[in-house]
Amino acid sequence: MKYIITIVSFIGIALLILLAKAISNSELISSDSFRILLGLNIFFICSLIVLIGFQIFRLLQSVKKEIIGSRLTLRLVMSFALMGIVPVLIVYLVSVNFLTKSIESWFDVKVESALEGGLTLGQKTIDILMEDIELKGKSIAYSIGNVAPEKRNSLLTDLRAKFGIQDAVIFDLNSIIIEVSSEKSNLIPPIPSINDLERGGREFFGRIEEEDGEQIFLKTFTPILTKNINSKTLILQLTQPIPPAIANLALSVESVYGEYQQLTYSRNSLKIIYILTLTLVLLLALLSSVSASFIISRRFSSPLAMLADATKQISKGNYKKIISEQGKDEIGVLIRSFNSMTSQLEDATKNSEKDRERVEIARTFLETILAHLTTGVIVLDEKKIIQLNNIAASKMLKIKPTDMSNKLMSEIINKNLLFKPLYEYVESYINNNKENKKETSQEFKLNKDSEQERTIMLQVTPLKDNKGKSYVLVIDDVSEVTQVQRHRAWGEIARRLAHEIKNPLTPIQLSAERIQHKFKSKLSKEDSEILERSTNTIVNQVNALKIMVNEFAEYARPPKTQKDAVKIDNLIDEVVDLYDIDKIVKIKKDKKIPIIYADQNKLRQVIINLLENSQDALKQIKNKEIKIFLNSKSNEIELVLEDNGIGIPDMIIGRIFEPYVTSKKTGTGLGLAIVHKIIEEHKGKITIKRIKNSGTRVTINLKSGNK
Amino acid sequence: MRYFKRISLILIIILFSLILMNEYSMPNGKILIKDIVVNKKNNFHYINFNQELNFDSLIINAINKGIPLVFKVVLRVVEKKEIWPTKIIKKEVRYYQIEYKALRKIYRVIDTNGKIHEYKNIAEATEKILKIKELELAIDDNGDFELWLNVSLDRKKLPKPLQVNYFDSTWNISSEKGIHKLGKLN
Repeated sequence: MKYIITIVSFIGIALLILLAKAISNSELISSDSFRILLGLNIFFICSLIVLIGFQIFRLLQSVKKEIIGSRLTLRLVMSFALMGIVPVLIVYLVSVNFLTKSIESWFDVKVESALEGGLTLGQKTIDILMEDIELKGKSIAYSIGNVAPEKRNSLLTDLRAKFGIQDAVIFDLNSIIIEVSSEKSNLIPPIPSINDLERGGREFFGRIEEEDGEQIFLKTFTPILTKNINSKTLILQLTQPIPPAIANLALSVESVYGEYQQLTYSRNSLKIIYILTLTLVLLLALLSSVSASFIISRRFSSPLAMLADATKQISKGNYKKIISEQGKDEIGVLIRSFNSMTSQLEDATKNSEKDRERVEIARTFLETILAHLTTGVIVLDEKKIIQLNNIAASKMLKIKPTDMSNKLMSEIINKNLLFKPLYEYVESYINNNKENKKETSQEFKLNKDSEQERTIMLQVTPLKDNKGKSYVLVIDDVSEVTQVQRHRAWGEIARRLAHEIKNPLTPIQLSAERIQHKFKSKLSKEDSEILERSTNTIVNQVNALKIMVNEFAEYARPPKTQKDAVKIDNLIDEVVDLYDIDKIVKIKKDKKIPIIYADQNKLRQVIINLLENSQDALKQIKNKEIKIFLNSKSNEIELVLEDNGIGIPDMIIGRIFEPYVTSKKTGTGLGLAIVHKIIEEHKGKITIKRIKNSGTRVTINLKSGNK
Repeated sequence: MRYFKRISLILIIILFSLILMNEYSMPNGKILIKDIVVNKKNNFHYINFNQELNFDSLIINAINKGIPLVFKVVLRVVEKKEIWPTKIIKKEVRYYQIEYKALRKIYRVIDTNGKIHEYKNIAEATEKILKIKELELAIDDNGDFELWLNVSLDRKKLPKPLQVNYFDSTWNISSEKGIHKLGKLN
């Protein structure tokens, strides 16, 4: 489009020059060429208007579509156009005024009066000369009429010479020349028309004649009256040129007067044509400048628009936008600086992106670790609002992870009062941590009086970052660890005890039997009975100690299992048959129980121990009942053994699998500890619970299918 | 839509220009041609007609101020055809001029033959130019003819300063472009 505008502008300038040339040539103005030129100019102006209209339309469309740079271009175009229009309009108005006044000044009233006066003077001069020649004509005619015909010629010649007449000719009514007298010797006078002769025969009349527009003649016709009534009517024709000096001046005044009148009549035409031309020049100049203003505006706004667009792109994160360099002016410097800035920004952004990615990886890494930690982690701010928590923490508190974020810790704790002591500790720590104490930790025993005693380890670590203080709570449920440690301790004790006690038991038993054997016969009957009773007591107690030690040994033995395929349903039936307790035992099994790989003897011992415990609990119960459920689950089997016995007291149920923890008056207190140990060795799980009204339920889960 | 608007603008400009041009080129009918008579003399046809000139005071004043006026008589004899467009048999263009000589206070008429006639007043002068006599047609007797006759002031022969203003309708003096049926001439 800019090429079109450039071409159009050049055509406009060319037309302007042609118009200016034409207007200075009056001949050209009235020619067809000038009309064609005017037409071309008008057509060109219309084309320019269409072109500018199209440009404005396009520009407004761009503004409407919010294309970058369009508003600036519009403002620049308006500014340039105003800069052009205002001065040109002022010049135009002044020129029109000047032109109108100049044209009016050409037609001054005084000039016209002078010309009219000159013309009238010429007319009057000719009239006077006419009157003079009239008198001369009448005088000659009178003289000629009174002389004999033969004397006419000499008289005519004398009188013509006397009056200074150029030509004198006497005609009759038939246009026949009667007499001729002339300054020119060889005159052949032109024959006047019949009308002239007839009129001249009746009366005097004169006429002014013009020859070649240079010379004026006065021609008069005078009737010659003779005394002879019968003679022919004769007419005297006198021809007298007006003196050349007067004639030239008079003709010149007439010519100038005519030209002046023509100019007077063209006054309005001239005004119109000059104003029209001036208007065309104005429009051409204005429209060409407005057209050019589009190119100039675009040239100015284009780099700025590119800059604005690039800035917009950068604000959207596109740092690869490079603007092509333009020139060495300030805009060029600006563009180069901008490109340099963009490049630096891109580098900085890349580095920042890398850092962010590293941070993100670290954060993901941390989150993954936190998510897979069995230890609960909670981050609190100074207002005790939860900023961060992991899954383990929400599991401990039995609340969805998403429900914890940005909640007050106290609100969460109110939903699970078990952890209230922990919160109280944390609250106290935070409230008193204005002096920036170091990290602290505390162990809590929760649910002491119930079957699920839990040991919780809490560690509070203060953090300080740019957002203020925050506190990391690390909550660790160490119940199982504590239990395992306790079992290990008991195992160690049992092993040492068995080792220390078992060794002297046999010599004691043998010594007691030897004493009885050696001294029984030597003592009196009464003493012998006392000795026998005492040694029997020693032997019995040693046997009891042996049983206890064996149980300890069993508890303390190193884990060693011989795993084989075991049909646990058959094993249960076998043990039940062995104890002959079919009447009180009710077995309910799934139809298909899978084989498990286990140490059959040890599993048998588990079932025996549990059944013995149930029988012990049912001793004082009338409607004795033991229920055994054997269920098959996805990868495991579940063995449930319930009785309606006296049950286990709450006080010991939490530690029931520990050695020497028993509610029975007899027994070693190792049965359930051994059961627990065997199940653990088989990587199974055992739980024991009180049934609501009375009785106990033991649940064992064992993996099925593989070794 | 935008192209329609653009085309509409161009059409409006063209229409406006045409109306303007038509307005200034319209004859104002100040010359009335009447009494057309076709005579046959010595196997030649001649046309005679009268004109009625209705000059307004501006024109008469202009003549009296020395502006010469040249009238143009355009005569076309066309033969009408059934299917084919009309055929121009003859085109004759004649001029006559009237001007006032202020110094001698006479009106001078130069007729179509170039002959100069001088008159004391304008009435006599116009009387001379009103009657066009013996304008030869040069047609035969067998055709079906029409005579297209137009008399107008020739603006191109006005003094140059007066030719400048193309938009001044004062000088648009013309007869209607009359068509006169001649029929078969015998």
